[in-house]
Amino acid sequence: MPFFNVIRWVAWKDLISEVRSRETISSMFFFALIVILVFSFSFSMDQAAARELIAGIIWVAFAFTGIIGLGKSFSAELQNDCLEHLQISPASKGAIYLGKLAANLLFMLIVEVILFPMFVIFFNLDVVEELPLLLLIFVLATLGLSTVGTLFSAMTVQIRAREVMLPILLLPLAVPVMIAAVEATRGALHGDPLSLYGNWLQLLAVFDIVFTVLSFWAFEWILDS
Amino acid sequence: MIGSMIKWMQRYEGWVGAGGGLCILAGLYLGLVVSPPDYYQGEVVRIMYVHVPLVQTAMLAYATLFVGSLWYLWKRDPIVDNLCHAAAGISAFLTALGLITGSIWAKPTWNTWWTWDARLVSFAVMFLILAGYLMLRTFIDDPEREARYAAVFAIVGFVDLPIVHFSVEWWRTLHQPLSFSMRGVSMSKDMLIPLGVMTVGFSLMFFYMVMIRTQMLYLDHLLAAKKGRLLSRVHLSSDVGSSPSSLSTP
Amino acid sequence: MTGLYLRWSAIVIAAVVIAALTFQDFEQHLTSLTPEDVVSLQPTRVVRVIGLVKGGTLRGDLESGHANFELAGQQDTLPVQYDGPPPENLRELKTLVVIGAWDPASGTFLAHDLALVTNYGYVVGAYLIGLLPLALFLLGMERKVALLYREIKESKLYEPETPHHVDTR
Repeated sequence: MPFFNVIRWVAWKDLISEVRSRETISSMFFFALIVILVFSFSFSMDQAAARELIAGIIWVAFAFTGIIGLGKSFSAELQNDCLEHLQISPASKGAIYLGKLAANLLFMLIVEVILFPMFVIFFNLDVVEELPLLLLIFVLATLGLSTVGTLFSAMTVQIRAREVMLPILLLPLAVPVMIAAVEATRGALHGDPLSLYGNWLQLLAVFDIVFTVLSFWAFEWILDS
Repeated sequence: MIGSMIKWMQRYEGWVGAGGGLCILAGLYLGLVVSPPDYYQGEVVRIMYVHVPLVQTAMLAYATLFVGSLWYLWKRDPIVDNLCHAAAGISAFLTALGLITGSIWAKPTWNTWWTWDARLVSFAVMFLILAGYLMLRTFIDDPEREARYAAVFAIVGFVDLPIVHFSVEWWRTLHQPLSFSMRGVSMSKDMLIPLGVMTVGFSLMFFYMVMIRTQMLYLDHLLAAKKGRLLSRVHLSSDVGSSPSSLSTP
Repeated sequence: MTGLYLRWSAIVIAAVVIAALTFQDFEQHLTSLTPEDVVSLQPTRVVRVIGLVKGGTLRGDLESGHANFELAGQQDTLPVQYDGPPPENLRELKTLVVIGAWDPASGTFLAHDLALVTNYGYVVGAYLIGLLPLALFLLGMERKVALLYREIKESKLYEPETPHHVDTR
């Protein structure tokens, strides 16, 4: 089967099923709102403290929300033997991986784009000039979480303690993504010039490339039955 | 492959173990009795002779796990899978001991139990990756899938570790460290010799432990598999009416 | 199995011997005098004295390695004249080990070296935590392997399997 068609079809399938059920995005969205609420109670923040901490809070919220979305991406396949059908299909496993990656990336980005204005409102941030840069940071970092996350989601979907194994496996490896995302977001929110935090964006780009390639290769071994 | 590797291990394990044990005992004597205390740190520098070899050997163990995982994915040999499992267990153990001894060394020298330094953080992340590996292995029931998934995870984790180290290092240079002086050890020849001997000893000891543990895991699986088949043989034979004589109690 | 226990007994004995030698070596650093001892005994050979640098008594040019201070014990103070490498740790109200000898002519303690009070707890703790769990782990594994080999031999797993007859009627 032609490679790029498979990617399109897998991504389209996930998208359509999401549009019909609206299950994943809504659960991610409400979970993130609750996380924001809990954080706002955990730290009694004045304006100065809020500006220091807000980048970290944003990315903790996005990371845990993303883990929910990544988990659902493959657990939805357990019904109706969809996972077995994927395993025995003649399509290139790498193409299936890229399709799943595209869908996960899209869902996480949608949730982030809806949530970020809430952060701006609740914590009174001033972000108009840096919006394109922030969007770039979001895309790069979310891609970083999704590459390894999609691979591990496929790994953990059929094992016991599935819900807890995905964060345990994913978060230690995602340390560079979290550090880079928080530092870059903090730089952007402070209005620092790009040269100050550009190296973090480079780190994110390198991470994305390395782990997309690695996961693309490794998916062959994961979805092999 | 299985038979030849087990035979090879049984032949050489004695030598490797004896070499490792002698080196460690010699290193202990040299490090604790013969070598002088450090000018700045005093006697506490002797912890270096047990902490540094532990850390080096833990990293050697993960490298072994990485190579073994690649080998397994290439050849799909079950004994190599046992080797990976063994190396991971030992590596996790050594990493934990390395973290603890490092913390004990840090308290009198830097006056803090922990610091967010690049090496410490990436070593702690390595421990978390190994713990995740062992948990993954425990939770997967199908042995063939367990081997494959674990190998993939080990490889992905190994590739990630240098990136973790770099990112934490950049992060540290941004946020200035606490104002204590992390002065290193003034290394004289008297200190390098015990350190070298201990490192060699620990490495040999690691290889010995891997040989022993691989055999242990392999024999465990072998006995379980054979017992399972013996059980099924009893079932079949009772259907057919003949009972083999050389049966152990299942 | 007996080979295993013999090996490990030998290792334990060797470790105990090294520990004893280490303790012996450290002991010379553990024995030290108080300022009262020095004032009363006035030893002219080199000794180690532990005391507190009395506040307000530290004088001298620390960069070049000359200092005068008083070392306080429980009851007496000992006048010390230090000449040696530039002292890293010399501060008032700090507990130090002063190494030197009593000089009857000047009535002071002439010190040529300073050291921190050595705390061996960390070294002992680190070695115990670093080596003991490893030894126990290894011992456990070797025992398990020996038991497994014995069990395989006893259950005669490697006898040729008798073919079972399938009823083809």
